[in-house]
Amino acid sequence: MQETTFNELADLALRQSGQNIPASKAYLLEARLSTIARRENFATLDDLVHCLKARPNPRFEQEVAAALTGKSTQFFGDRELLDKIVGQALPKRLSHSKTGRLRVWCAGVSTGQEAWSLAILLREAVGSPLANAEIEIVGTDLSTQCIETAKQGVYGHFDVQKGLSIHRLLTNFDRRDNGDWSIKSEVQDAVSFRRHNLLESGRDLGQFDIIMCCNVLSGLAPGAKRQVIETFSAHLLPEAFLFAGTGENLAGLSDAIKPSRDLRGAFERDLSGKKTEAA
Amino acid sequence: MKHCLIVDDSRVVRTVAGRIVKDLSFSVSEASDGAQALEMCRAEMPDAILLDWNMPVMNGLDFLRALRREEKGQDPVVVFCTNENDSEHISEAIRAGANEYIMKPFDADIVESKFAEVGLV
Repeated sequence: MQETTFNELADLALRQSGQNIPASKAYLLEARLSTIARRENFATLDDLVHCLKARPNPRFEQEVAAALTGKSTQFFGDRELLDKIVGQALPKRLSHSKTGRLRVWCAGVSTGQEAWSLAILLREAVGSPLANAEIEIVGTDLSTQCIETAKQGVYGHFDVQKGLSIHRLLTNFDRRDNGDWSIKSEVQDAVSFRRHNLLESGRDLGQFDIIMCCNVLSGLAPGAKRQVIETFSAHLLPEAFLFAGTGENLAGLSDAIKPSRDLRGAFERDLSGKKTEAA
Repeated sequence: MKHCLIVDDSRVVRTVAGRIVKDLSFSVSEASDGAQALEMCRAEMPDAILLDWNMPVMNGLDFLRALRREEKGQDPVVVFCTNENDSEHISEAIRAGANEYIMKPFDADIVESKFAEVGLV
């Protein structure tokens, strides 16, 4: 891959999704774009980039940018965070709710496993106050292809064996004749997926009690991080919780959020500092 | 160091699984059928058993039922590892006392994930 090709792709990623791809990660681009390049009959990434420049196509640019994100995910990939959301954050929000309805946004959800894992945990919350709550889970991702996979809720042999116990597999999935496993319809009821670019406001997403965004922000350029956090802030209900993945730190990235006083590790909308545009 | 008994009539599978389990810091012994595995368990109960279903002499399910009737036979964590990948077989294995279930083919990440599910790693 020529240096100019890397620069074009890195610029595309930054422009479309706010991602920062350093030159040291150039080797990843070949792997992440190989499927698209093969499908479109490009022998090299140089050819692909040449085509992007010669015949601008917003949809194709979007698809390439989404493929460049390359987030890997698995069921119960961040167990600690999911336990905190189900064990602490949602019960706190429910105690303040007059309607018993709560909304959770899984942002940058890739192929959906995080959202399904949360839905599975909620099904298991028998005897908890959450059992009587109406909890809506919205998963979004930049990639149309990932969102289609998430919506279908069908996962292969290898996917369902990483992070899922056999009991959870049998309880929440049906086996298909081809050996794939599909999420049971009763798990699907509370979950929806849609394409959304985190650099856009997403006004029609509405406001949320919980926003979780795992392994996304760390790959973004500083300006994009700030922009995304300000979008999250605008979508948080008062005193609602924003979580990054375990080990990721949101402190100091934007004055639109502040550490929660109620829940360690969570952030909430900062109404005292810089004003954020309401969603 | 924890001890894992790998029970499979395929030498290739025993070798591959053995390498993976050793990388998870287990000592490993091998048996090629259920009857041999039962004798080895009677001599010394392992901490974990990675168990194939279809084997000559005594299959994995009969072995598991016999194991659970042995004194201290409830102690080992048993993870089935088999080509029998449908819900009915999985449910039958759990009813017989399996703790986890790996569907072949498998890789190192799957074995580690399943061992983590049952607290072995």
